[in-house]
Amino acid sequence: MNILTIPLRNLRRKWLKTCLLTGVFAAAVLSVVGLTYVSREVGQSLEKKLTQFGANILVEPKVESLSVGYGGFNLGAVAYAAKSLDASAAAAKIRSIALHERISSVAPKLIEMAKVGDKPVGLIGVDFEQEQLIKNYWTVTGAMPDKPGEVLAGSKAASLLGLAVGSTLTASGRDFTVAGVLDETGSEDDAVIFAGLRDVQEATGAIGQANFIEVAALCSACPIDDIVAQIRALLPDVEIVAMQKVVKSRMYAIDFVKNLAMGVCAVLLLTACFMIALSLLASVNERKHEIGILRSLGFSRAKVFAIFCFEAVAIGCAAAVAGYLGGVLASQKTLAMLDVAGQAEQAAHAGHASVVGFDAAHFGLTLAAVCLISVAASIAPAWKAANTDPCEALVML
Amino acid sequence: MIAVKNITKTYAGGGNGGAPALRGVSFDVREGDFLCVTGRSGSGKSTLLHVVSTLLRPDSGQILYRGEDVTRLPEPELNRLRLGDFSMIFQMHHLLAYLTALENTLLPFMSRLTPVKDAELAAARLCLDKVGLAGKHDRLPGSLSGGEQQRVAIARALVKKPKALFADEPTGSLDKKTGGGIIDLLGDLNAEGMTVTMVTHDQAYANAGNRKLTMEDGVLASDG
Ligand SMILES: Nc1ncnc2c1ncn2[C@@H]1O[C@H](COP(=O)(O)OP(=O)(O)OP(=O)(O)O)[C@@H](O)[C@H]1O
Ligand SMILES: [Mg+2]
Repeated sequence: MNILTIPLRNLRRKWLKTCLLTGVFAAAVLSVVGLTYVSREVGQSLEKKLTQFGANILVEPKVESLSVGYGGFNLGAVAYAAKSLDASAAAAKIRSIALHERISSVAPKLIEMAKVGDKPVGLIGVDFEQEQLIKNYWTVTGAMPDKPGEVLAGSKAASLLGLAVGSTLTASGRDFTVAGVLDETGSEDDAVIFAGLRDVQEATGAIGQANFIEVAALCSACPIDDIVAQIRALLPDVEIVAMQKVVKSRMYAIDFVKNLAMGVCAVLLLTACFMIALSLLASVNERKHEIGILRSLGFSRAKVFAIFCFEAVAIGCAAAVAGYLGGVLASQKTLAMLDVAGQAEQAAHAGHASVVGFDAAHFGLTLAAVCLISVAASIAPAWKAANTDPCEALVML
Repeated sequence: MIAVKNITKTYAGGGNGGAPALRGVSFDVREGDFLCVTGRSGSGKSTLLHVVSTLLRPDSGQILYRGEDVTRLPEPELNRLRLGDFSMIFQMHHLLAYLTALENTLLPFMSRLTPVKDAELAAARLCLDKVGLAGKHDRLPGSLSGGEQQRVAIARALVKKPKALFADEPTGSLDKKTGGGIIDLLGDLNAEGMTVTMVTHDQAYANAGNRKLTMEDGVLASDG
């Protein structure tokens, strides 16, 4: 038996009230934990989806003049496209930065001005697998090229050159077969022909080279500037450009989801906070006589304060434990229902996001935060209790 | 032991039409006294007891306990005094409803984080036996009669072995027979050497002690 026996016994006596308060507080904590986890996962999966609509970092050789044109590469100035970089070495370096988990695809490109018949056309050497990760919106008549010598023709290029699935063409002295025709995209992709990176490298003699590399990075957990800085550190002789506009509009959607969740959380916690405060305040008024007794027995104001504060903290701790565990469970169920978990699991296999589970650090954080909130909620009532005049509390009125 | 010198007190709330509740009260409490304070309702008895027992600070005047003016002591010192030398008993609302008789008696030792010691537990059991509650240590106040509850309060007042006991209408909410039992108990304690100051408006108990003070409109009408 010590000073804590007093608040604990009181909580036990009023077990129904204690349970109800704990339940309400736990529900608030559950919602906050659940919302945080769900919004994190949804945000990540949302970003993953958005990332499939284009790259947000451009890696290109250092040039003196500004280049405009396809994907930031000036098709009209291919003459100085002699400037190129070592594709596989650069890609490996990009994949090895500290934030490599945030890199979702690295798509190198080598560009060749080719002639099919007597018509000039851009022949773009790409890594089809990586390219598809960035250009998820591509739909193809026929099939994606998967063998050397196969190409994917843009819709405009195909009609202009009279190409269809299965037709053959000669470009830059090599024979190619059209494996598929790209449906109209409304972008520059319509006017060019995509070939395997190796094929174009061999055709142009630029073995291992690329003109530029498009990188898609996930930025929900870190600023893009960090990723760019890390790539820049490994590739000092190369130009690294963050496409801020792309990133910003993407982050806006994700931040909106997260801010919405945070807002709801704040309201929930505030409500729980007020409920605890109100209930404690009622309890202080109802227990005036007790406070008078304690003060007359020599309990200091601080001790009376501590007794009331502890009641709130005890409820808070119970609510934090129940709320956190419930929150993890609820978010797992919700994510399963939204089928985001499935995607998250795929992502986990790919080495990206984690699926929601018990996390000791998060649990500790929740416990500490809830304790703080309980103390904050109990300050006003406990203060009132501590400053109750013992005489007034004790005389019979 | 306690010298009360020219105490005045006016409640800030302006009860009594702003008239002072105490107007220059002086008297002594001597070691071993059983002092009874009587007077009509509203004459200032409770106010006087609260001031003397340090629960209330007077507007002016001095209260010397063993030569020290307790009206000027800072809060922590007052808490120490209430935790140690001074004990108080009230008319009602004396117990915490959710603690057993034993736990209520142990309250003076529960103002800290260190657990109650075995010696303190033994002292509490002894005090409860002494006030006639043997075998009822683990009862909650709700299952004790009014007189028994008051006895628990007395046991709690005794357990820390105080130097002075202050009682404000300890029989106020009890019937004649039960009240008489409480007065007899206080008499016994006084006989064992405890200094007792009791406020009562009941003339039947006013002569229970060795001295009687009569209050009238905030002043002492008689002493002796
Ligand atoms: N908290 C208070 N605020 C304002 N006035 C008060 C307060 N307590 C007491 N008084 C006033 O002070 C005067 C003395 O009150 P006190 O309680 O000391 O009388 P009492 O002799 O104990 O009366 P009773 O026998 O009814 O208990 C009364 O006129 C009362 O109205
Ligand atoms: Mg009174």
